[in-house]
Amino acid sequence: MTHTEIRQAEEAQSLFTEAIGNAGEINELLRRYGVKFGIYKNGVFKEQFFPFDPIPRVIPAEDFHLIEKGLVQRVNALNKFLFDMYHEKQIVRDSIIPEDFIYLSKGYLAQCEGITPPGEIYSHISGIDLVQGKDGAWYILEDNLRIPSGASYPLIARELTRIACPGAFAQHHITDNRNYAELLRDTMEHVNCGGIRAILTPGRYNAAYFEHSYLAELTDAVLVQNDELFVEGNKLYQRTYNGGKTQIGVLYRRISDEYLDPLTFYPDSVIGIPNLMEAYRSGNLGLINAPGNGVADDKGIYYFVPKMIRYYLGEEPILQNAPTYLPFYDEDRQYVLDRLDTLVLKDVSEAGGYGVVFGSDLTKEQLTELRDTILAEPRRFIAQEVIDFLDLPILDNGQTVLRKADLRAFVLTGKETKVWASGLTRFSRNPDSFVVNSSQGGGFKDTWVLSR
Amino acid sequence: MGTISLEHSSRLYWLGRYTERTFRTLEALQGLYDKTIDNPAAYTTYLAAFGLPDHYDSSTAFFRCFLYNKNNCDAVAYSLERAYDNGIVLREAISSEALSFLQIAKDTLKRSEHADNILLSLLPLKDTFYSFWGCIMDQVYDEEAWNLIFCGKSMERLMLSLRLKAPYAEVSRIFQKLCRRLRFVPEGTPYRCDPERLEKLTAYLSSETEYNMHTAQAIHELERIFEVSP
Repeated sequence: MTHTEIRQAEEAQSLFTEAIGNAGEINELLRRYGVKFGIYKNGVFKEQFFPFDPIPRVIPAEDFHLIEKGLVQRVNALNKFLFDMYHEKQIVRDSIIPEDFIYLSKGYLAQCEGITPPGEIYSHISGIDLVQGKDGAWYILEDNLRIPSGASYPLIARELTRIACPGAFAQHHITDNRNYAELLRDTMEHVNCGGIRAILTPGRYNAAYFEHSYLAELTDAVLVQNDELFVEGNKLYQRTYNGGKTQIGVLYRRISDEYLDPLTFYPDSVIGIPNLMEAYRSGNLGLINAPGNGVADDKGIYYFVPKMIRYYLGEEPILQNAPTYLPFYDEDRQYVLDRLDTLVLKDVSEAGGYGVVFGSDLTKEQLTELRDTILAEPRRFIAQEVIDFLDLPILDNGQTVLRKADLRAFVLTGKETKVWASGLTRFSRNPDSFVVNSSQGGGFKDTWVLSR
Repeated sequence: MGTISLEHSSRLYWLGRYTERTFRTLEALQGLYDKTIDNPAAYTTYLAAFGLPDHYDSSTAFFRCFLYNKNNCDAVAYSLERAYDNGIVLREAISSEALSFLQIAKDTLKRSEHADNILLSLLPLKDTFYSFWGCIMDQVYDEEAWNLIFCGKSMERLMLSLRLKAPYAEVSRIFQKLCRRLRFVPEGTPYRCDPERLEKLTAYLSSETEYNMHTAQAIHELERIFEVSP
């Protein structure tokens, strides 16, 4: 560690003495409340507790103010883009985005053409991943507009940390983040087409089942699975145990687009609801998030988001993307090929930290192989400069050490677009890794947004 | 509320049954443990009540198997796992708070496995279940959901009382409680009683003499009391 890093770790140690001292109790409380996530390894499902680090990420009020403005701007532009994509495609006609990036994207769903969701909102819940560089600047790393998960973890962690460390909260001016359920409920109600609120889960053996059930509890929504739902007269109903039915007006679905409706998408889906898309298309059902959003959070499209902001909003982007190159463009391709050993390459069709390759980790042969793949399939990759992100202190066997971390901010769009004053800070437990995903062994922290 | 699905109703009912089974098995084993202090073979009466073979070397082996063996479907650990399996998919219906007591119960049982004094170490487990049910009464606002859990609970209690040949006064009280709960079950659900079977059961439990003569028949009718098997 450098002198600065040692100082940073020492500061964290003294600032968060209470949280560090009670780390065991907090993790015990998280265990007690079943804060788990599921993971499949070699085809076997295992439920494990999500390791929580008691040292929070602290975001000063002025930083958050900037992040908030930037994220509202970005998500509003992305929502306009999605409306455009499934209607006129003006941005393509105006040659701002090449059509290859739309029609070749796995996330573009032709079945959604012409559908206007309630309120013209496509991404009601957006999970935007950011990192902070060592220069203090925040960069957008990724947009997640399909079914971003993770809000429940800092939410319950805050509830429990306040029990275990009341002093820390009395001492610092921390914005209370326990309004997430209210924000989510309002977001759901805004697009409710008449009926109850429901959260659709694939079931207990889904990685994020804890989150599905916890959010259902907090929002007074009914947690449902596909076998209790049916569509009749273009309306979605829950079949009740006394043979009756209850209309569902808004469905926060936690299953992927392609499995939603076997009559529209993947015909072999056993977790979908036949004709669900008809209920949605008829305006009798609010679907959160809208199907087809994958076209906007494709890693290839990420490159174009600043252009979208300028195009749809006539504004300059407040938050910057990480410097990104598209091998699709000749100029960028040459740059990428020349500097392959220093860049990070991302396969646009992968997610969850998979398909990410650091050029510096590759052997000469592997670099040659990658170069050939890029030349053969330039649309498949984006390349980014490796951002020297600010490491965050974490507690590791009683010692404070520094690790890579990102921030997933949650942006909710209902009547207006709001940024939740918190977020999921994920960190890598491996000192040599940039990958922070829980599915790859990462842990999480609470995110404190200071109120002044 | 009208939002209970068939799957959920089954989970609620079995949550009631398995939590009660865990609790009552524990209680019965605690009583038995006390008896084995004076008579090491006393545990065989328990096996006989359930028609189970005795292949245990000692009372210690018996208790370990009936307390901690998750593969033994008559063990406390097994019932507790099934209770948790049902509870974990009912978080939004029963509350995180109630669910947390099942996790505490699991942890307590696990810890007691290595305790010097098993009886002492298991005392908090009973407290945890009282807290769990108190929490259910406090947090579950949907009366149908609430009633389904407690139908399951009363059903299990009556079943175990019959099998363990509890005193008639106790059985009678439990039966009346179950009947009160069953009356609240809405029509058209799998938990409506078959009136013919209920009538027979009522007859078998109408007096101490009838009870003593017809315990086996009462168990038979109770096992088939619902119109549709849940």
